[in-house]
Amino acid sequence: MTDILSYNGGTIVAMAGDRCVAIASDRRLGVQYTTIATDMTRVFKMHDRLLLGLTGLATDLTTLRNLFNFRLNLYKMREGRLIKPKTFANLVSSTLYAKRFGPYFCEPVIAGLDDEGNPFLCAMDLLGASSNDDSFVVCGTSAESLLGTCETFYQPGLGPDDLFETISQCLLSALDRDCLSGWGAEVYILTPSGITHKTLKARMD
Amino acid sequence: MARRYDTRTTIFSPEGRLYQVEYAMEAIGHAGAAVGVLSSEGVVLAAEKKITSKLLEVSKSSEKMYVIDEHVACAVAGITADANILITKSRVSAQQYLYRYQEPIPVEQIVKMAGNDMQAYTQFGGLRPFGVAFIYAGWDVHYGYQLYQTDPSGNYGGWKATAIGANSPAAHSILKSD
Repeated sequence: MTDILSYNGGTIVAMAGDRCVAIASDRRLGVQYTTIATDMTRVFKMHDRLLLGLTGLATDLTTLRNLFNFRLNLYKMREGRLIKPKTFANLVSSTLYAKRFGPYFCEPVIAGLDDEGNPFLCAMDLLGASSNDDSFVVCGTSAESLLGTCETFYQPGLGPDDLFETISQCLLSALDRDCLSGWGAEVYILTPSGITHKTLKARMD
Repeated sequence: MARRYDTRTTIFSPEGRLYQVEYAMEAIGHAGAAVGVLSSEGVVLAAEKKITSKLLEVSKSSEKMYVIDEHVACAVAGITADANILITKSRVSAQQYLYRYQEPIPVEQIVKMAGNDMQAYTQFGGLRPFGVAFIYAGWDVHYGYQLYQTDPSGNYGGWKATAIGANSPAAHSILKSD
């Protein structure tokens, strides 16, 4: 149990296009080198224009998802509106930092569209240090590989279909080089008209 | 006679009444009415918004109707500020239940919790009771569509149709005859 963040494995990448965002993840759930499930969901819909992807320790993933649903339901009832992606990013950041000396072992990726339909991307470490980007953000056990593949293939201003192709290729190449991530992949594409979900045919190892 | 026993919430009168609770109900009788009707196909809530001043700005939120969770909503009659406290508590309780059990809170549970909060103010602390009555409408997998009413004593009951606020006795007799 040397590295808690890679105990269960898992990887997420998110990319921005022209008035759209895509977020993709693998589907492996492991216990160190043993794979125990291939249908793990890491990306969660927080509302129609906001997706949250979580990498790291699986139990903290589940807990954080439940916790953010709790907070967002209350937010929606009190404020009578949906939370903006950047506001949600701040909520995630402060929630993680509140556990500064006993953290959640989770590194989130937030992908959303703001009220004008412009993309919002954000990745964080387990203590809530966030990095916003206009292009792409990555988290998980194949993060370093993904930075390479994204840097190579990414172009700004892609439409939803091209963005889907690009993000899929970036993810699949990176997954092939990581034994702790893989066993299937899925992509969510978020546009002002809605969320599309696609499963990728990947190497099942 | 009532004067001697009505300034403290936490004492009974010789006739066995809690005057502060009854006075709270008086306050509710002056507020805008709310009505609820239950059927096998759904529940309906209606509320009268009393316009206290033409100068008041149009508000996006309602002072009469609130969502507690996706499957439960309520109508309010009485002191709005008191209602806000209880509504916030109910919303948080519903989310805590959802967080703990990953199931939506059964309608009766949330009503009971609200009732218990109200009851505490009739027995402890020397604070006045809440001057609000609620009609809760909701659906769950256990009992389907349901309608409940609460009052400042903390008592609650399940109803086929009910009314609170101004002229509620009249509303009740109309609902009874229909």
